[in-house]
Amino acid sequence: MLFSCSPSNRLDGYVYYRLNANPTTLDPALITDVSGASIAAKLFNGLVKLNDDLEIVPDIAEKWEVSKDGLRYRFYIKKGVSFINGREVKAQDFKYAFERVLNPKTKSPNTWVFDKVEGAKEFQKRITREVKGFKVIDGYTFEIKLKRPFSPFLSMLTMTPAYVIPKEDIDKGTGPFILKKWLHNRELILERNEKYLGGNVKVKGIVYKIIPEDLTAVTEFELGNLDVISLPASAYSKFKKDKHWSSRIISMKGLNTYYLGMNSSRPPFDNANLRKAVSYAIDRKKILETFYENRGRPAQGPVPDLLRKWKIRERGQGSRVNGQGENENLVINYDSLKAKEIIKREGMSGIKAKMYVTADQDVVDLAEIIQSYLLSAGIAVDIKQLEWSAYKDAINKGEADMFWLSWWADYPDAENFLFPLFHSSNFGSAGNRTRYANKEADFLIEQGQNALNEKDRNRFYRKAEEIIIKESPWVSFWHRTDFLVTQPWIRGYKVYPIYTMDKGMDVRIER
Amino acid sequence: MLSLAGERAHPEIIENIKKEMGIDKGFIRQYAGYLKLLMHGNFGTSYYTNRDVLKDIAAKFPNTLALAFVATLIAVPAGVTLGFIAAYRKDGLIDKCVNAVSLAGLSIPVFWSAIMIMLLLSLKLKLFPPSGTGDIRFLVLPALALAIPAAATLARITRTTVADILKMPYINTAKAKGLSSLSISSVHVLKNAIIPIVTIIGLDFGSYLNGAVVTETIFGWDGLGRFTMEGIIKRDYPVILGCIITGTAVFVLVNLITDIAYHYLDPRIRLHAKDR
Repeated sequence: MLFSCSPSNRLDGYVYYRLNANPTTLDPALITDVSGASIAAKLFNGLVKLNDDLEIVPDIAEKWEVSKDGLRYRFYIKKGVSFINGREVKAQDFKYAFERVLNPKTKSPNTWVFDKVEGAKEFQKRITREVKGFKVIDGYTFEIKLKRPFSPFLSMLTMTPAYVIPKEDIDKGTGPFILKKWLHNRELILERNEKYLGGNVKVKGIVYKIIPEDLTAVTEFELGNLDVISLPASAYSKFKKDKHWSSRIISMKGLNTYYLGMNSSRPPFDNANLRKAVSYAIDRKKILETFYENRGRPAQGPVPDLLRKWKIRERGQGSRVNGQGENENLVINYDSLKAKEIIKREGMSGIKAKMYVTADQDVVDLAEIIQSYLLSAGIAVDIKQLEWSAYKDAINKGEADMFWLSWWADYPDAENFLFPLFHSSNFGSAGNRTRYANKEADFLIEQGQNALNEKDRNRFYRKAEEIIIKESPWVSFWHRTDFLVTQPWIRGYKVYPIYTMDKGMDVRIER
Repeated sequence: MLSLAGERAHPEIIENIKKEMGIDKGFIRQYAGYLKLLMHGNFGTSYYTNRDVLKDIAAKFPNTLALAFVATLIAVPAGVTLGFIAAYRKDGLIDKCVNAVSLAGLSIPVFWSAIMIMLLLSLKLKLFPPSGTGDIRFLVLPALALAIPAAATLARITRTTVADILKMPYINTAKAKGLSSLSISSVHVLKNAIIPIVTIIGLDFGSYLNGAVVTETIFGWDGLGRFTMEGIIKRDYPVILGCIITGTAVFVLVNLITDIAYHYLDPRIRLHAKDR
């Protein structure tokens, strides 16, 4: 060996991960990218966090109370939690951190997380000097008051913008790790926080290597320079077939939905029956099994399987038989005859549509498959490839008849897959890119947000999703599952459906 | 705009950012504003990271320079030597081999050859680390990937030029004078062939300094090319502008140096005001 490069120049006791891009920022208020959020989760803490079952559990708050009207959230903060500069965390710090997110000076892209809080608007418009809804009761009690009941609020407090930071040192967190070094575009080094009270960290630290190219990361992994990588599609089957690696592949079920959106605000897809015909015309299951190598779970509707607390009704399962639609089968399976029949009945044969896609090769391949299915159903699809920013811009403005996109959870709640995506107040970049509008669905989604208990909430969400499936502004394809592979010396590595859930507490090295 | 303010930004926040960035003003005023910044040696700050663009470029430029240097150091001896040998054995087997190899070197896309180089020298033979930014060990692979097409071009240019020179009467004269073939090739041939070779080296070196996007990305080299590319993907205009202005300046500078080099290398190109 001419130059020994591995694993001798690794830091002993550190675990090596890969990032595909330099994090834009590690300021919790400003983070929007996955790289930044997954690191910030290890440096900071919030009032609450998620456990393995996606339930909300205490983090810095040891307990909380929600008032009967669903408006007031009172948090009791643990004593003795301190920032890495040594100062204890008090209720005042949460007020500071949350107001900082809303402060126009911060230019935070995440203000929407707190926009349901009473007085948030007034503060943002600089009418008031503090947010009325953030109340410091005493040193260890903090209360948030909302303008109206909003059931997913606690879930939203698990996100990065809700992390606490000290006023005097805004880059000092409370987390299990401390940022030691950040070499722009090269690597970040995190060191264990020896004073962390929230549990035992088993590694000395984490090194994040910034490697933009997937294949390079795979090579680094094979050389033992990385301990865990997410397998790119191109390397998946190779590792799966390799005996040495196949047992070390872990699957990670993601909270996401991949879909074909149809512009419901203008012809031809303002016709719900035609949209439904499109859903019948495409054999999504086959595409998932062959083209997508089963790297996902079939989707029955927009809400991911892991978040759906109800079942999609199949034929004959309706509880009441009063309405015409009550008994309708909502599980849509491939049925080309039915698709043709609907198109014929609607008198829409020979229609043309433009499908917008990004210029990624796998997306283009998929688009061609969809194109051929739709052609045999009688819809001529013209594929238009665009570069990502131009693509986003075009679909935000509703220029496309059809488009291919995915939605990933910000917080684990079915609401996150209904309100932004299908409520008529969210046209365009806010999430509703199909410009779907249905008063009943709007109402049900709002009712779900306002519901005071989980049962009611799920009932409203379920009804809303049923309407959406019936009217099919989306063809929901699948919920993607990612695959990771770990080195033999890595123990206890766990995968989470949301990247901020990994606080780096489980992983350990055993050589 | 939306990527900056976030997908769910309120219209008022978008207005605020527009005002702060000055894009609510007319194009002429925006352009004048940017020129004014430039005059002060200020490239502005990145929209996303708020870092000073000039400082980032200054930090990445030495990496790109080092890469360009090593790549040139590999490409020039390899390309020129191959070209010379092929010219001396014109139409022979060696010539045909060199021709084939150089054609392949020119045709193979960098992203493919880069991956092959990595798989062979790094994964199989474990000679060099596959990626990263650091000392000379990290430089070899990306430099090699860059050097291959450059060496191929050089080999072809050298071969044609040298073959033409070998047909010249003054070569026969030199032979007739009884000069050794070594002194013929080093003094008479090389000196006459050097102008096109230097032109190609200058052009290649200039383009390396503008950043080799693909190579830098694959090998994770923290250079100007990757920085530019990231700027383009995120639509980070101060970064894009800064990189383009730097790149243009460097390219012009390298070409100027090449032109000055002509003057020293070939007396026929010397420009004397008096002669005109």
